[in-house]
Amino acid sequence: MEEAEIYDYYILFPNHHEGLHLHKELKKAGVKCSISPTPRAASSFCGISLLLAEEQLDAAKKVIESCGVKIEGIAKIRRK
Amino acid sequence: MADYREMWDGLGMDLEKHDMLCEALPNAFGEVYLSQKNRPEGMDYFDFVVAEIHGVRPAELVEHKKKGGKVFGTFCVYVPDEVIFAAGAIATGLCGGSQFWVPGGEKVLPANTCPLIKASVGARLDRTCPFFRLADIYVGETTCDGKKKAWEILNQDVPVYVMDIPQMKREQDIAAWGEEIKLLLNKVEQVTGNKVTPEALAENIKLINRKREALARLYNTRKSSPVPISGRDALLISQIAFYDDPERFSSKTNELCDELEKRIAEKNGVFPAEAPRIMITGTPMAIPNWKLHNIVETCGAAVVVEETCTGVRYFANPVDETGTTLDEQIQTLAERYMKVNCACFTPNQGRIDDILRLVKEYRVDGVIDCNLQFCGLYSTEGYLVQQALQKAGIPVMHLETDYSEQDSEQIRTRVQAFLEMLGD
Repeated sequence: MEEAEIYDYYILFPNHHEGLHLHKELKKAGVKCSISPTPRAASSFCGISLLLAEEQLDAAKKVIESCGVKIEGIAKIRRK
Repeated sequence: MADYREMWDGLGMDLEKHDMLCEALPNAFGEVYLSQKNRPEGMDYFDFVVAEIHGVRPAELVEHKKKGGKVFGTFCVYVPDEVIFAAGAIATGLCGGSQFWVPGGEKVLPANTCPLIKASVGARLDRTCPFFRLADIYVGETTCDGKKKAWEILNQDVPVYVMDIPQMKREQDIAAWGEEIKLLLNKVEQVTGNKVTPEALAENIKLINRKREALARLYNTRKSSPVPISGRDALLISQIAFYDDPERFSSKTNELCDELEKRIAEKNGVFPAEAPRIMITGTPMAIPNWKLHNIVETCGAAVVVEETCTGVRYFANPVDETGTTLDEQIQTLAERYMKVNCACFTPNQGRIDDILRLVKEYRVDGVIDCNLQFCGLYSTEGYLVQQALQKAGIPVMHLETDYSEQDSEQIRTRVQAFLEMLGD
C-alpha cells in the first residue's frame, strides 16, 4: 500500500523581524507553528521560516491578513 | 528571505562551499529537533537562534566591530570569558561540531586527530563559518597535544594566543593558572586598547555567573521525573550558551525554566516517567553534534544530564563575587576554573566523584561514557570511569565515535542492547 503524501508549509519572510512578529501573532491566535531554518527546497536563502501543518494553514493565512506582517510567500514541501 | 551573502562575502567566506552547509542544516535540525513531540514553548527562542545561526549573531558581532570592538574566539571552558568581556570585547565559542568541516581540517592535520580539532581548523581554513572569520584573535589552550599543534597551524592564518593549562591541581597549579589569567588580561588589554578595571571585572563576573545560574536552573529541572525537557533540547541550549549574548541567553533560559517548573508541577514530561534515565559523560559535543543524544532518545530513553564541557562542567561552581581588587578577582577566577575536572589533569579523581554524585542527583539508570575518536585523554580515563561505576553497581557502556553518520546504526544497536539490559 502506498503511503499518503504529507506536506509541510513554510512561511517565508524578508527578514527575521517579520518572522518573529508573525510567530508571536500566531501564538496569540492559538495557531500551532515552529520556528525552522528555511529548507533549500523553499528558498535559496538561509534564515528563519515558520513551519505549519496543513490543518493550520487557513487559520495562519487569516492571521497574516489581519496583522499586516510582510511575508515572501508560503512554500509547500513534501515531507520525506 | 534575509540575505546575509553580502555580510559573508565581506568576511571573506567561501560562499559556494558555505551554501552546501546551509543546505544541510534545515533537514538535520528538522529531523532531530522539530520532530519531537510536546516540546516546551520556550524552545522557540533557541530554534530561532539555530534558524539564524550564521545571520543574526554574526551581524551583531559585525556591528560591534564597526564600533571598534574586538571579538575573541575560544575553544575551551577553561578560558575565562569574564576577562574578555571586562575589556569591552566579546568572547565567542568556536568549537566545530560538524562533519562538514572535517575534510578541511584533514588537509593540514593527521587523519588520526580528533574530529573537534579537525572541524575547528577546517571551518577556519575553508572559510565556511562566519564566527571563525569574525574573531580578531583566537585564545587556545594546552588541554591536549592535538590542540597544541593545531594552534601553530592556525596561527599562520589568524593570531592565536595560547594559555598554558596546568596538568595537576596542587596549590602551585592554581597559582600558576592565576598567573595565566593575568597574562590573558594583559593580552586582552593590548588587543582592545581598553583597561580592565576591578569594577568592570566584578560586573562581568556577575554577568557570566548569571549565565551559569540559568544553566544550573535548567539542569535542575532535569532531575524531575517525568523529565520536562529532552536531552536534545538541553544540549542545544548548552551549545548556544557558548556564542549567544550572555545577558539575552540568561534571560531566555530563565523564561524557559519558568515553563519547565510549571511542567514539573503538572507532571507534564517529554518522556514517560518509566523511561530509562541516561547520563552522558566524556568529550564535548559542539554544535551541531546532536548524534548520540538523538540516537539515545529515539531509542526511548531520556538523556537527563551530561558530565561534559557542553554540560555540567561549563556552569558548575560560580565565581566568588566578593573580590574588589584585580588580584583578588583573578584569584577567585583561578580557583573557580581549576574546579573544572577535565581529563587533561592527573590525577582526576574529582571527575569520578562528580559522575558518582550526578548519578544520584539525576536518578540515573545508566551511564554512556562517550569520547570523540582519537581523544586519548578521555578514552584512557574511561577505564577509571567505568571501573568506578561498575564498583558502584551502575550500568555503564563506553562508546567512541566521530561526527560522521557511518557508525550511527551500529551505535543504535549497542544503545538498544544497553537499554534492554537496564530493564532486566
